[in-house]
Amino acid sequence: MIPACPLSALPRGEAVRVDADVPIAVFHTEDGEVFAIDDTCTHQDASLADGWLEGCEVECPLHASRFNLRTGAVDAPPAKRPVRTHQVHVEDDMVYVTLSEEEPNLPPGVSAGSAGAAP
Amino acid sequence: MTIIENKALPESFIKTLPGSAYSDPEMFAREQELIFEKMWFCAARSADVGKPGAFKTVQVGRESILITRSRSGEARAFFNICRHRGAQLCTEESGEVKRSFQCPYHAWTYDLDGKLVAAPNLTKMPDVDRVEYGLRKVHVREWLGYVWVCLAEEAPTFEDSVMGDVRTRLGDIESIDHYGVENLELGRRITYDVKANWKLIIENFMECYHCATIHPELTEVLPEFADGFAAQYFVGHGAEFGEDIKGFTVDGSEGFDRIPGVTEDQDRRYFAVTIRPQVFLNLVPDHVILHRMYPLAPDHTIVECDWLYLPDVVASGKDVSHSVELFHRVNQQDFDACERCQLATDSRVYADGGVLVPSEHHIGAFHEWVLNSLQGTD
Repeated sequence: MIPACPLSALPRGEAVRVDADVPIAVFHTEDGEVFAIDDTCTHQDASLADGWLEGCEVECPLHASRFNLRTGAVDAPPAKRPVRTHQVHVEDDMVYVTLSEEEPNLPPGVSAGSAGAAP
Repeated sequence: MTIIENKALPESFIKTLPGSAYSDPEMFAREQELIFEKMWFCAARSADVGKPGAFKTVQVGRESILITRSRSGEARAFFNICRHRGAQLCTEESGEVKRSFQCPYHAWTYDLDGKLVAAPNLTKMPDVDRVEYGLRKVHVREWLGYVWVCLAEEAPTFEDSVMGDVRTRLGDIESIDHYGVENLELGRRITYDVKANWKLIIENFMECYHCATIHPELTEVLPEFADGFAAQYFVGHGAEFGEDIKGFTVDGSEGFDRIPGVTEDQDRRYFAVTIRPQVFLNLVPDHVILHRMYPLAPDHTIVECDWLYLPDVVASGKDVSHSVELFHRVNQQDFDACERCQLATDSRVYADGGVLVPSEHHIGAFHEWVLNSLQGTD
């Protein structure tokens, strides 16, 4: 379980990228729910935290595939594989993420430990 | 280039610019660099980029400029070029994006404030500042319901340059405030593709020596235009409507209600203002006509002309054709004349240019301004 960020530092409608072995994106929806998914689009190396949050979905900022924050499922190509979803709980204003134990679906050229660091 | 003093010239005459000033690609390139890319340029109607993400691309000098509106409602203007490998970002003349501009080449993605918000592998380049590598910004100002841009590193003060030209012509800035131009709405827009140099179009607009010959309808409405002076010769003077004229229309028939702020002194009069380097403003009691020029080549200028009315005139669908037709004819008559002059600019007998009669002598000051601007000594 990793502490991601204080909830008060993450306004509704916004997202934050959390550096980890496989980087995580934490979203605070307009409805007040908090979700965590893998931050990297499964099609090409792009940060979903930089994407466009609408309802319970995030649209990849590069090629517009949309990922469901609850299930990780993708709606349409170019991304074809889902992102992992992670369990979230908030305690004393701190957002904690429990990482999924599944294998991540990372795009070509990105592997665990490589994303987020300068080459 | 200097205006050649000709001792033999009768006192009534002063010289125009030489013919080459209207056709020489090098001269035009210097005008693009030192005039259109240095001064405030009226680029788009505010309502044409009325909501966040609405955009227009326009040619300003040698550059393509992208004009849009941010989420907070402020007009923004950028060089229309991706910061990555220089691909043109938007190729459409106008349109609307939902939330970002994306380069079609490598998908570098910019928000409506120009900030780089996403790019492939961007998270692997944490040293890249997203504002620093955002779209290159251009100075922006909204005035009279239009978006004005300035491509210079340091823009001249808007108050001295743009508003200064209005003040010089009308005598003060309050005179234009009376028309509430920013609150008027577009009744009609006509775009003219003119095969003439932009300076010929300005010179034509500045004088009225031609009015009685080529503008029969306008001279009927404004009889004093037959004396050849009027238009822009006297400071603060507006040409008065003829006695039998009811409105500024093609047949002198009734126009619309007077714009509320217009004063008694301004009623039944036509005021014309040139805002250098590419705007003409025409003020009459019930509407305003605004011309914007987009110089594209030495012999090619696009002129976009907007007829602006009180919101209720536009909303109620009133027939504006009688007032539009008057200045539409004037435009056609003027641009035909400018095209006719353009044809002769390379003639050997116009190499030294022509002459200006006394009622055109104020055009000499425009020529001096152009030449000074090109020497950077305005």
